[in-house]
Order: sequence, then C-alpha cells, then structure tokens
Amino acid sequence: MDIVKDILAILIFPAGLAVMAGGLAYEWIDRKLVAQLQNRIGPRWFQPAADIVKLLAKEEVLPEGVDSRLFYGLPVVALAGVLTAALYVPLFGLAPAHSFSGDLIVAIYLLSMLTLCSGLAGANTNDRFSLIGATRTLTQLFSYEAPFLLTLLGPAIVAGSWQISEINAYAGGHWLLFTQPVGFVVALIGLMGKLELPPFDAPEAETEIVAGAMTEYSGRGWALFRLGKNVELIIGLTLIAAFYLGGLSDPLGFLLKTLALLLAVAGLQALFARLRIDQTVGLWWRAGALLVLAQLLATIVLKGMTA
Amino acid sequence: MENETREKFIIPIGPQHPALKEPGHFEFSVDGETVTGATVRLGYVHRGIEKAAEERNWVQDLYLLERICGICSHAHALAYSLGVEKLAGVTAPPRAQAIRQLVAELERVHSHLLWLGVSAHEAGFDTLFMFSWRDRETIMDVLEGLTGNRVNYSVNVLGGVKADIDDARADAIRRGIDFLEERTQHYLKIATSDETFLRRTRGVGYTSREQAEELGLVGPTARAANVARDVRVDVPYAAYTDFPVQMTLDTRGDLEARFVVRIRELFESYRVVRQILDRLPAGELTARMPRRIKEGETVSRIEAPRGELFYFIKSNGSDKPERIKVRTPSICNFAVVTGTAKGHQLADMPMILAGMDPCFSCNDR
Repeated sequence: MDIVKDILAILIFPAGLAVMAGGLAYEWIDRKLVAQLQNRIGPRWFQPAADIVKLLAKEEVLPEGVDSRLFYGLPVVALAGVLTAALYVPLFGLAPAHSFSGDLIVAIYLLSMLTLCSGLAGANTNDRFSLIGATRTLTQLFSYEAPFLLTLLGPAIVAGSWQISEINAYAGGHWLLFTQPVGFVVALIGLMGKLELPPFDAPEAETEIVAGAMTEYSGRGWALFRLGKNVELIIGLTLIAAFYLGGLSDPLGFLLKTLALLLAVAGLQALFARLRIDQTVGLWWRAGALLVLAQLLATIVLKGMTA
Repeated sequence: MENETREKFIIPIGPQHPALKEPGHFEFSVDGETVTGATVRLGYVHRGIEKAAEERNWVQDLYLLERICGICSHAHALAYSLGVEKLAGVTAPPRAQAIRQLVAELERVHSHLLWLGVSAHEAGFDTLFMFSWRDRETIMDVLEGLTGNRVNYSVNVLGGVKADIDDARADAIRRGIDFLEERTQHYLKIATSDETFLRRTRGVGYTSREQAEELGLVGPTARAANVARDVRVDVPYAAYTDFPVQMTLDTRGDLEARFVVRIRELFESYRVVRQILDRLPAGELTARMPRRIKEGETVSRIEAPRGELFYFIKSNGSDKPERIKVRTPSICNFAVVTGTAKGHQLADMPMILAGMDPCFSCNDR
C-alpha cells in the first residue's frame, strides 16, 4: 500500500502534477511582473503551459556527435531530481510528503541536480555556445552553491535540526528574517543565481552565447529542463519562505509569503544589468560567502553562549 | 598533435545571432572567457544600390538612396540632395535648409535612442531597453506627423523639401522634445551612476585619442575619445551655419564615454530643434532644379547619427548619374571592435560591438 501512496505522491501530489502546475503558474507570475516593471504587457496566464505543450509535441533534434543516452537522459534526471526534492519541502503550506532527519541536505543536493544536468548537457554537445555556456553554468554553480548552502544552514543551526519540517516548525515562532537578515538576502539572491535569472543570466546570455548550455536542445528535452526550472523556482521560494518568513503552515500563508518573495525576485530582475561571469564569481565569494560565514559564526557563538 | 592543442577556440557571432539585429560575421578567438583576437566579415546585405543608382534618373535615385538605411534614411537623402544641388549650381531656399536640419536632428534623436536601447539589451539591461524604445515612439510620432512616415521620411526633394511646418506642428514637436528632454536626463543619470551598468561600460573598449585617430574613427565613437571630428561643426552644411551646434566631446574613450557623448548629443539636438522652430526662416520650400545635371563631379559630406557620411557623385551631363559612391560611418568604426577586442572578456564583445552603433545595411548597401 505504501508503494502506491509513494507513487501517487511522486506523480500527482504533492510532487508531480501539482507542483508542475504550481511551477508554471509561478513562472507566469514572474514573467508578468517583470514585464509590467519593464513597461511591457507580458504573457497571458496559460502561456508557460502552452509553451510546454507545444515543445512536448515538437520534434527533438539530436545533434551530431553527442552521446544520445546522455542527451535524452539528462533532462529526465534533472526534472526527476527537482520533483523528488518537492517531497521534502512544505509545499502549499502542507506537511512534507516525506520527512526524515537530514532531509535538508538531500533536498539541497537534489536541487543542484538540475544545474549539474544542464551543465553536463551543454558539455555533452559539440556546439561552441553550449560549451562556453556549460563552463559558465558550472562556474556559477561553484560560486553560489556554497553561500546558498550556508544560508540554509543558519536556520538549521538555530533550530537544532537537519529536518526541513522541524526547522519549519521552529521558524513558525521565530521570524529569522529579522535575526538573520544577511542569510535571507543571500538566500534570495542565491536562488536567482541557481535559476539563472537576470542579472545572473550570464550562463545563458543570449546576446553572447545564444542559449548557453541549452542551445542544442529542442522539443521534449528543452521542455523538461524548463519544467525543472519552474519546479525549482517554487521549491526554492518555499524553502526560503519556510526558513526565513516565519514558517509555512497553511496554504494561504504559503501563497502570501512566496508571492511576496516572487515580487522581490521580479523587482531585482528588472533592476540590474547582467553581471559578467567573473563579476558573478567575485560577488559571491568576496561578498556573499564572507557575509554569510560571518553571520553563521555569530549564530554559532550566540547559540553556544545561550546554551 | 601539437597543432591540435594550439588550435584556437573560435566563437562565431553571426551572420545569424541574437546579438546582431542585422547580418554580419564576427569571429572571436577565445582562451576561456578572454578574447585573444577578432575578425570581421561584412557584405551579407549587399544589394547593389550604387550600381542600381546608375540606371535611374536623378529624382528616382533620391528615393533609392534613402532606402540604404532604415535608421538614418534622411542623412542619405540629404547628402545626396546637397551633392546634386552643388553639381547643378542650385541652392535650396533657407526655409528648406532649416527644415532639413530640423529633420536631421530629429532623426539623430531617434537613432541615438534606438542605439541606447540596443546597447542596454546587449548588456542584459532589458528594462532600459524597453523604456528607451517606448520614449523613442514619441520622436517617431513627431516624424510621422511632420513627414507622413515613421522611417524613410522622404522629406527631401532635389532643390528643397516637401514638408512644411505650421504653428500647430511646431507645438507638437516642442511637446515631444520637452518630454524627451526630461527622460534623457534620467537616462544620463542611469548611464553615469547605475552600479551594475557601469561595471559593464567603465574602462571597457578603451581607445586612446591617438588610437582613435589612427583607426580613423568617426562620429560619436571618435568624439568619445576626444577626437574633435564633427562635420556639422567643421564644414557646416544645410542650415548649420545659422543654427550651429556644439561639439560634444569626452576624454575617457571607453564605452561609458560613448554612452555619455551620445546622450549629451541628444540635449544639443533638442536645443537646436527648439532654436530652429523659434526662428524658422520664411519663404519658399523648393528651388527649381534642372532635369539634366551639368557634367562634373562632387563630394558631399554630412554628419549622420553614426558619424561622417560621404557621397561622391559624378555626372556626365545626362539625366542619370554616372557614378555614386557612398562611404558610411560604420565601415570606419568597425576597427574599434577588431582593434580593442584583445584582452577583453567574451561578455564585453557584444557591448563593444553595439557601442560603435554598427549599421550593416548602410555599410553593405
């Protein structure tokens, strides 16, 4: 019986269809907000879903000289990774479908799968834009990943647990936004780096390297990668809202908190010119990582003193 | 094996590439993210216009040459008209010359705003792109109201202009200019103070004054390197003697300077447009032109939005020109891309390319 329940959880709810629909809805809100901020009209509400349907129906071109197993496999693994991560986070304000001690680490690594897969996908093809894009994707991965991990560690340390649901419950009584403001800002910007949103879109800067690592992808593979990114967006927002914005315990709170975060993300996207990849790395290691590390040390010292 | 490892990794940009709005081909050899060399190949939009001009009569050529460029169409028509008038010994009436200059300056405003948007897009700053293009619509509406067309205004005729300006039209232009002046202040502030934007422009694509002279740069790209070169000031044409413009110079020579020079030129254009509207000479719009142009040859130079536009016109006394040679500003400025590429990041290349405001279809004709 448990197996049936697990399969339902992965395919339909809370991961699977529900989270994919949520991801598409959030992509639309994000695009619409950025468009409005840029004095454009923006897409209609069903546009992200329509894009996916159209892409799924299209021919997938297999470029010459690639390993076809990797080429077809990587998008599936990427999407599977983020969908599995969805099982461990309090999506829609409901309790996570699965929970065990240490699931935070698992979720973080599952979320990195997407970036890793897209980097590998780029390196797998012979296309020059893809190769440069893959280098940039992986460079960016190494620059934001450590600070992003540290920002999620901060709440874990004060909550005294590595379990997402327990940190969520702890955060319910403590708005960590106010006690760990640096962590919150870095986490939000780290999420933008993870999703390669402007101004951290150097890995897919269209005016330089077309679509970066994804240049050779079309049809189904491209649709799966995009879907993966949408799911990652909603999971990332959920994690940050759960850890820093007073926890998630009901669907209404989930909506309000994640949408507020999305508004901030959209604003940041519209505000800046694209950073060069060397500037991105410099920003993360010189500012992001150091600040978070300092805050983490302060947190540990304070916790040690009070205990 | 030795050769294989030393082989350069080349990033092709173009002929079809999202960074280019028109076809051109650039090859950047890179070492990681650092550019080690650049070559340029042009000619993808060659339409044989110069040859076609020899098959048409003087009046038809005016419309043909105006279509060399969709952005600086008036500049081409103006350079051609002034040249042909010089050959025929006819001078357009003062009112016509003033209106020609007015349209030329309005066109400069539209061209510089367009460029601002394109450059911002190359820098990944789409918000500035969208806003500057929205504001550019104001000037497009002004031009449409004045001439009937948004592009290829067709305002020139040989010996004068077609479009006249009455009080209502002048007020409409003034309103548009007032709005744009306010917006341009804002863009100048962004170009000189936005932190992320400055990181992409300050010190990038630097050319010293000597280098700029040596490469033979023209227009705003040269003026940003403190090369005092502006046909409007050096050899005033049309009504530029009556309504002179100040040359806008900058000493820094990098991309930021190119932004600042172009944006500050907008203010100069606004000022001159207002001045012309206030003191528009009365009188005829056209002078009588002969159908056949006297035998002879001439050179006509004007300052297009991108720099010096050069026309060589030769007549054999018939109703058709014997030879028309056009040299556009872009061909002079491409050297700035190949000359300064080395040592820059790959991400800077689209910015440097857009920074000189290339016009491929002008260039290839």
